[in-house]
Amino acid sequence: MSKPLRIALTKGRLEKDTVGLLESLGFDCTAVREKGRKLILSIPDANLEVVLAKAADVITYVDRGVCDMGVVGKDTIMEMPGKFFEIVNLGFGKCKFALAAKKGTDFYEGFGVKTIATKYPNVARTFFESKGMDVEIVKIEGSVELAPLLDLSDGIVDIVETGTTLKENGLEVIEDIAPIAARLIVNTVSLKMRQKEIESLIEKIESKI
Amino acid sequence: MKNYDLITPEGTNDILFKECVVRRNVEKTISEEFKARGYSEIITPELEFFDVFNLNSRHFPQEDLYKLVDRKGRLLVLRPESTMPIARVVATRLKEATLPLRLCYNQCAYNISPLMRGRSDQIVQAGIELIGSSSKMADLEVIETAAAVLEKCNTGDYSLEIGDIGFFKELMNQLNVSDDMKETIRNFIETKNYPALNDILDSIGDNNVTKALKMLPRLFGEEEVFEKAAQLFSDEKTDAILGKLKELYKEVKQLNCKGKVTVDLGIVNRTDYYTGVILKGYIAGYGEPVLSGGRYDKLIAEFGYDVPATGFAVNVDAVTKVKMKNEKITTDSTEAIVYAVKGYEMKAILLAKQMREDGKIVETAAFDELEKVKAYAKELKISKIIVVDDNVTEL
Repeated sequence: MSKPLRIALTKGRLEKDTVGLLESLGFDCTAVREKGRKLILSIPDANLEVVLAKAADVITYVDRGVCDMGVVGKDTIMEMPGKFFEIVNLGFGKCKFALAAKKGTDFYEGFGVKTIATKYPNVARTFFESKGMDVEIVKIEGSVELAPLLDLSDGIVDIVETGTTLKENGLEVIEDIAPIAARLIVNTVSLKMRQKEIESLIEKIESKI
Repeated sequence: MKNYDLITPEGTNDILFKECVVRRNVEKTISEEFKARGYSEIITPELEFFDVFNLNSRHFPQEDLYKLVDRKGRLLVLRPESTMPIARVVATRLKEATLPLRLCYNQCAYNISPLMRGRSDQIVQAGIELIGSSSKMADLEVIETAAAVLEKCNTGDYSLEIGDIGFFKELMNQLNVSDDMKETIRNFIETKNYPALNDILDSIGDNNVTKALKMLPRLFGEEEVFEKAAQLFSDEKTDAILGKLKELYKEVKQLNCKGKVTVDLGIVNRTDYYTGVILKGYIAGYGEPVLSGGRYDKLIAEFGYDVPATGFAVNVDAVTKVKMKNEKITTDSTEAIVYAVKGYEMKAILLAKQMREDGKIVETAAFDELEKVKAYAKELKISKIIVVDDNVTEL
């Protein structure tokens, strides 16, 4: 058998959903399920080697070609674009990017420059650039909802799933920015050098979505 | 004040010893291929005016360029690639030269790459430009040269891919949407973003053009691609483009190179000034294309001289990195060291000179004591020590 294809999975929920998907294709993923602390695991009957990584690192590994494929959220792809093919929308890990502000306020009111708190400065910048709006962006690492409550910012750009966190903190969605779901990404050289193997895996995956 | 006197700027690095040897060998291998086909080397300046890289058909985003200002306040850049400077030279100093011109180069290109991805901002590119011919023979010559270079670089598995930007351009011509929308579609095809491409084309409507565009990024592989493409879309212009490419593909196959020859109808880079046949080369062990090029018939006209052209460039650093990983590299090392007893220095130097003329690599010992010479020779595995006084003694 040829060298296994290496696939990087975003640790956590996307990893579990991907493993579920691979199992539904009939592959034995015991090694991944019982991984312990190992970071590289194999699925021999699919000739796959699974690498577990943080979302942003999945992009780096695929972009640089040390992994042939990766499963990562569209949110991370939008925040740190790279050179790779974005071939399949896996459908799971669904949520959205949205602009939110304190309930009852008119976000677009007035002529002042707005301050936006976000964990995704590139996404926020691109969104407001497309509106021709100059905004000040503050990068926040933890709960972004705090920023408008503490009056650090006028609004936030963040991932919204159910909207419960926003609601409980007196915020509401002003505008949707983009839908998010998990993507299967492929290195540009791997797709060409190992076309048959990758295409046959993609076909199987697409048949299950 | 923080001092940066001990490190090199982000994206650059020093190259030492073995890596230099490998890189120089790669450069030599490639340039020999070029020169054997009648290409003459040209060297353009590291610094160019920004305007050279700011054309209609190819525009570099300013954030990707290293910029400086000259003494008159004009904007300069470190060249991000070599084709445009060469087009400038062709349109000026070489305007009266006999065509076709066969030019080759081996020089650095500078691009500001995304931070912290481990990419170099300074890479060496070796390439050719064949200027003044739009004939099929010119396309074939360039592809054959690219194949020979990939083969001679000898890095293991490789694959050479050809395409034709014309197929995509023709489909886009027939699509009645805004330029912004076209750019979005182009981007989804380039990144093979099948789901987003389907969504946007569904919103435009269901017709032969949108159907073909949906499939375009999937049209890569071997000969079967042509059949699929022809089934998807067929009119006089696209049939002509596909027919030409298929013929070219079959001919390139006849080169019988060790690597694979493939087709991709979905190569549609934004920065492309390409107008016809395009090519890319891949080698196992490197995560991006190491060779890229194609036909650019309208570029030189932007400098005021309307001539067709084609060419490609190889990323020499990428090939070097793969060879460093794959190969056991041996370098030439010193065979003998000549030690002069005090007062016999010139005799030692003349002896070393004589030995070098016989083809040996000889060092003169820069130590006063013989013991130190012995320790040094042992450490560096130099087998022969020659002591020069009234006599010449080999230890």
